[in-house]
Amino acid sequence: MAEILTPERPVEKTPLKPEEELLVDRPKLSDWLELRLGWWGFVRKNLDEPMPPGVGWWQTLGNLLMTLLMFQFITGFALAMFYTPSAHDAYASVKHITEEVALGSFVRGLHVWGSTIIVIFTVLHILRVFFWGSYKKPRELTWLVGVVIFNVILGFSFTGYLLPWDQKAYWATVVGTRIAATIPVVGHDLLVLIRGGEEVGALTLTRFFALHVMLLPAALMGFMALHLFLVRKHHIAGPVLPQKGKPVPFYPVQLFKDAVVVLGGMGLVVYLALAFPPALEAIADPSGTDFAPRPEWYFLGLYELLKIMPAGWEVVATMIVPGLVSMGMLFLPWLDRSPSRHPARRQWVIVTGCAVVLLIGIMTLKGILETPPPGAHGHKAAALKGSAPSAEAVRQAAEPPATAP
Amino acid sequence: MSNEQPVSNSLIDSINDQPGPPRRKLLGWLVAGINLIVGGVVLGPVLGFLGSPLGRKTKGMWVPVLGLSEIQDGQTREASFTMQIKDGYALVDRKYTVFLHRSGEEVIAFDPACTHLGCRINWVGEKDRYFCPCHGGVFGKDGSVVSGPPPKPLEQHPVKVENGQIFVQKNV
Ligand code: FES
Repeated sequence: MAEILTPERPVEKTPLKPEEELLVDRPKLSDWLELRLGWWGFVRKNLDEPMPPGVGWWQTLGNLLMTLLMFQFITGFALAMFYTPSAHDAYASVKHITEEVALGSFVRGLHVWGSTIIVIFTVLHILRVFFWGSYKKPRELTWLVGVVIFNVILGFSFTGYLLPWDQKAYWATVVGTRIAATIPVVGHDLLVLIRGGEEVGALTLTRFFALHVMLLPAALMGFMALHLFLVRKHHIAGPVLPQKGKPVPFYPVQLFKDAVVVLGGMGLVVYLALAFPPALEAIADPSGTDFAPRPEWYFLGLYELLKIMPAGWEVVATMIVPGLVSMGMLFLPWLDRSPSRHPARRQWVIVTGCAVVLLIGIMTLKGILETPPPGAHGHKAAALKGSAPSAEAVRQAAEPPATAP
Repeated sequence: MSNEQPVSNSLIDSINDQPGPPRRKLLGWLVAGINLIVGGVVLGPVLGFLGSPLGRKTKGMWVPVLGLSEIQDGQTREASFTMQIKDGYALVDRKYTVFLHRSGEEVIAFDPACTHLGCRINWVGEKDRYFCPCHGGVFGKDGSVVSGPPPKPLEQHPVKVENGQIFVQKNV
């Protein structure tokens, strides 16, 4: 049975020496390729990767994430074919995608919901590695690269959120980028660098677009390749307490479980995209006074934290707390130096980790409950709207500002 | 690699015939130096290019926003105006809003951006207060912080009144 399921090297009858193979007049295509690429050894090595006993469903999340990220790349590429990254046209192009292009709403839904699902499963993946203590020697770098990837993913969310250029996108970015300005001394310069100017405008959109479709994907691919290389180099850590039995090859049992989870994950994204098509609110209006900004839901915990900080302490919520959590995550393998992976033997790490997760969870929940749902507005201003002087009169009074080279 | 080929052996031999350690080291440093120059030639200008918004200067522009008669003594109201600005590559008509407060002949203009993280504040007349929808910032009609996280009072724009017309200075 195993013989049939395990793929064999294409031809193994009479192994020829490489010099001899070069002399064969008309080799089979697979032999021709094997001689030039040596691909079969690579494939075989990965399919035969030993899985320690006890590895199972929890270890499928990495594969699921890789697949979902690949789909983000594909749907993103498709969206980019119709999208225009200009403050003048972005909104109209997204509206066109959503309302007129065949399957446009669905493809956009896959991309939008895909991003949410990826964040959820990334967190689960991280928690699994955390509780299993799989980040310990020699896998410290695998963990570190993983944390970097998590931050790249959050970067994708933050930059992608602005691209539709609707009210929600615009105001979340106004507030989100202002966080940089709370850093003492360099804050304001940093804000200008991120926004491409004093205000969120045309250059903010082009900057975010460039980050979203060029820098971040390139970074993601590089770090993911490194992550995978390290996972294969050090093999899967296996359960905390070694279980009886012999390691089994990755193919077919674990790969099958991976495939089932990928099917389920994709099914979820497809369902969400169909059942809850992505919304598009009114076009971004910098002068609007009745719009309550809402960040993406997984940033709501941070948003809540900002509420409870007293005046002058916002840097605690914007920089210090997130900075400590990120640093703690990055350097976890060096903070927790005990050789044991067992949760009971590294209590303070587990307790701290649980407390952080719990606090983030509570804050996020509080944020979700207290933030007005889409479409709701803040307090209606009681003031009368002032009448605007004609644009012509203003145009005469104003002239374009000097731009330094 | 188990199947050693004669080709690779002769390759290694020829490498071993290369210049000795001191020269190899020197050449190694030269390669590193050349790479630094080549990298710098590209990265330096690119970084300067990306940082160009830092060097952009703004200047104050006077804009008429409202007739003095349109606001009563003691009243606070919103006034919008449109001005043409250069937004990156584009010349656009951008609408701005200020909150004007008049006491006697004096008018002050508040920027509607909350000093916490920049959400738009709302004026609620019955309460005589500004409310920020984001993190619960509340400001008094004089722009001072009443409660919530905002670290400083509302920002003011310079105002002048000429011939019964209120002008506000806006940096663009
Ligand atoms: S932005 Fe106004 S309270 Fe935070």
